[in-house]
Amino acid sequence: MAAQGAGDGGGREEPVVVFSPSEIEYVSYGGEHHLPLIMGLVDDELSEPYSIFTYRYFVYLWPNLTFLAFHKGKCVGTVVCKMGEHRNTLRGYIAMLVVIKPYRGRGIATELVTRSIRMMMESGCEEVTLEAEVTNKGALALYGRLGFIRAKRLFRYYLNGVDAFRLKLLFPRPNPTFLAMPDKNDSQNQPDHHP
Amino acid sequence: MANHGGGAAGEVGSGGRPLPLSSIPAGDHTVWADASPFIEAACNDLQDGELVHGENFSLFAAMSALEIMDPKMDSGVENSGYCSVEEAIENGAAPIPLSLDRTIDVQRTIDVMDHLLACEATWHKGHSLAQTVFSCIYLLRIERTSSHALLHSYCRITRATCNAIISAVADARTHEEEDLFTMAYGLPLKGEGDEKCLSILNSVEETISRQLRACKAPSSKKKALEDLESLQTNPDLEEGYCRAFLCRLRFRKHFYHVLMCLRKPQGRGLELARKHVASCLSELASMYKSLEFLRSVSYGSAQEDSTTASGCRPVGFDVSLNSKLSAPTPPRAIRLLSWKKAVGYFEKLLHDLNVLCAFTLDPMLEDTLRFVVQFQKSQPDLVARAHLQLLLVQDGKLCGRDFFCDVISKALALPELAKDQEFQKNEFVVQLGQLVINLLKILCTNSAWQRRKLGKILQDWSVISMQLELAFKREFGEMLNVSIDENICMKVSKHLLIWAQEQTYWIASRFLTLGFELELYSPTDYCMVYWYMYVVFVKLLEKMQMRIAASSDNSRRKGKKKRDHTKDSGRDAGVSSSCLLLQCYIFLSEGLAMMLAALCNDCKVFQMTSPFNGEEERFVQHFELLQKAQVPEHISYYLFKDSTLHARLFNVAKHNYFREAQRIIASLKGSFSGEPDKLLEVRQLEQVAEHNRIALNVVNQVGGQDSSLKVSLEFTHHPYFAVAVVKRS
Repeated sequence: MAAQGAGDGGGREEPVVVFSPSEIEYVSYGGEHHLPLIMGLVDDELSEPYSIFTYRYFVYLWPNLTFLAFHKGKCVGTVVCKMGEHRNTLRGYIAMLVVIKPYRGRGIATELVTRSIRMMMESGCEEVTLEAEVTNKGALALYGRLGFIRAKRLFRYYLNGVDAFRLKLLFPRPNPTFLAMPDKNDSQNQPDHHP
Repeated sequence: MANHGGGAAGEVGSGGRPLPLSSIPAGDHTVWADASPFIEAACNDLQDGELVHGENFSLFAAMSALEIMDPKMDSGVENSGYCSVEEAIENGAAPIPLSLDRTIDVQRTIDVMDHLLACEATWHKGHSLAQTVFSCIYLLRIERTSSHALLHSYCRITRATCNAIISAVADARTHEEEDLFTMAYGLPLKGEGDEKCLSILNSVEETISRQLRACKAPSSKKKALEDLESLQTNPDLEEGYCRAFLCRLRFRKHFYHVLMCLRKPQGRGLELARKHVASCLSELASMYKSLEFLRSVSYGSAQEDSTTASGCRPVGFDVSLNSKLSAPTPPRAIRLLSWKKAVGYFEKLLHDLNVLCAFTLDPMLEDTLRFVVQFQKSQPDLVARAHLQLLLVQDGKLCGRDFFCDVISKALALPELAKDQEFQKNEFVVQLGQLVINLLKILCTNSAWQRRKLGKILQDWSVISMQLELAFKREFGEMLNVSIDENICMKVSKHLLIWAQEQTYWIASRFLTLGFELELYSPTDYCMVYWYMYVVFVKLLEKMQMRIAASSDNSRRKGKKKRDHTKDSGRDAGVSSSCLLLQCYIFLSEGLAMMLAALCNDCKVFQMTSPFNGEEERFVQHFELLQKAQVPEHISYYLFKDSTLHARLFNVAKHNYFREAQRIIASLKGSFSGEPDKLLEVRQLEQVAEHNRIALNVVNQVGGQDSSLKVSLEFTHHPYFAVAVVKRS
């Protein structure tokens, strides 16, 4: 259900806004007054249709995972996420990520999504997932740099008929040395392990 | 109901004007009252951002709501203005005849046929039947067309063809994620008289052939034919129009025959299907040729993406009439394929079906698996894949002929088991038979779905291998003194175990290589992927050799008769070339893994640092399903790291993996001379080996420290073995 319209793909045809990264202000979701801003960005930039209930579901239940980016009072980007149990693991999910075209390629999307992922990590998530169109090179590169792998390809996933990749980011286990200990019963066959 | 909480509800009585109560009469137990003031008051009580919802109605459930009148969500919002098919017909949207001028009528009829073909191809490509083929008003009310023989015959056979295809796809159930395809709810898909579609078509075809003969006949003979009315009124255009119709009608006829032949039990219709495929292709070529004539006589400018050969917009189509019948999801953006692309689609489909028709019935399982993999290389669409699956698995038998227990006994090279009741009832054999059926069906699905399913069934294969191994140890662990040929049970168990393990590794290798086709790996992960492929190929070769050794052992003991020897040596050669090919894969994947590791260690390329995780997490994620199924056992990230950590360019170059691969390739060329598919792959592998050998030597000589050297990986020669390209920036 997610869609991603951000990354470094844009900016070639659209006029690029000149600004310094320090002029961008990042804020966590602050209440109902932010909702129209988020909806406006997503409706304009992403192919998937969402009703207002979709936005409410995310921002009411996980306000701490939604962030907005402002430049001189104008909302130029947003990320909307959730987290929950999935097959006995706590999993974060990035539902929507948008940066408007003139502001792309300057790290705003990376910063937005990094903030959300950090929150998920701190909240005990073991992994983060999302879907992106296979044609969305900008988003795929962005998530690739953050350590996401393409776990699956989803055939004609989007309503526009385009395939999607399911991307996944696995966080390191808290205590890898303990988990990597060979099982005593068949340790004679185990390859070398780091202690 | 949208935008702001409960705000929209307040609009019911907007303007303060009360609704006329008298408009809704009271029933026996109901009285209607105006609730607007009440709702308005309730709305005023709500603060901005507050929601009213029942306990059983969660925010999650609310997401399923559709916003009425939102063009992105409401499939009914855009329409032509007609509320029903009848209304459209009454307003002249689909006239019969299509024009009172017979020449224009003929021209428009061809446009309808062409647009229908574009619709049909678009449907095959994944859009709903309702919004494609059944956007044709003539097809929606087929009885109306009975006075127009040409149009009627074409509509009938198109509908019958759609039916045949839907039932093939539904029977095959290869369409796991393509379920939109068979959704035909509410459409007049079946009607009386469709079974006669071929005879109706034949008589129309006959008439037009005579009209064509008549217009070509010298004037002296014309008199004899005078009782035959011409197709239309302009004698100069008669031949062109006749020809344009004939190829279109004949294409439909042969295509319908193809589908009927393919559904004959046990593949009995394959040979005839092949002939009809050839006829279809030749008619498609004639259709393509008719484009020039049709464009020359049409009015207006033709566009490249036109859905008709003439370039004209067809009459009698309305996409919005059926929108209420499309799936209960938001409307999919439909862009019809152009007529040219539609013709191209059918050409591809027919080529795929032609490959299918060449399938050797009575095959070995190994050959069947290879056939399906080869078939999938051209990325066939759903219709072709469904037909392959129907051919392979019929009534729980391979091609409807052999029970899968017999298929397995053949694969084990133990023909004496073929009619053995004990063997057929053996619980492992029954289970393995089921697993083979599943495997074949999965191999016929689209590659995205296929890979996910292969990952899952690895677990099943791995479990049954372990059970076989346990059973084998339990039953025969103590019997060290029994000679093998004295104990048939032991022999069967041993063969079964080796065979099941071999299949498991084969599935694993398919799973890994499909990842390249689906673009699931990034260049920073190639090293670990090739390393894992190397490990799996080594195990696969090991099991394959064990199986061959076991079965040759078996035939030697039996003391084969003389006349079998030639057959055997043919098979042995095939077997040994399979092993050699696998050995070549092993060298290439090991070579690539080590070269990439060395490039990473010496030149610091293809490295990645991510803020949240590292290489180990990516390894775990990529191979999670293989590791869960213990395919192979005892493989871990640490083992990977151990084998690649010390890779250096000079070492890897000295090792000559690619040279070794080239040596094998040289000997393989001769043994595959009669098999073009395999020969093609061997040539591709040769290119991969040669390019990588050179690239490795170049980088090694220049040394890793030269930062102006850029190394990239390309799949220009082989779908999953990359070629390193070295450039100076």
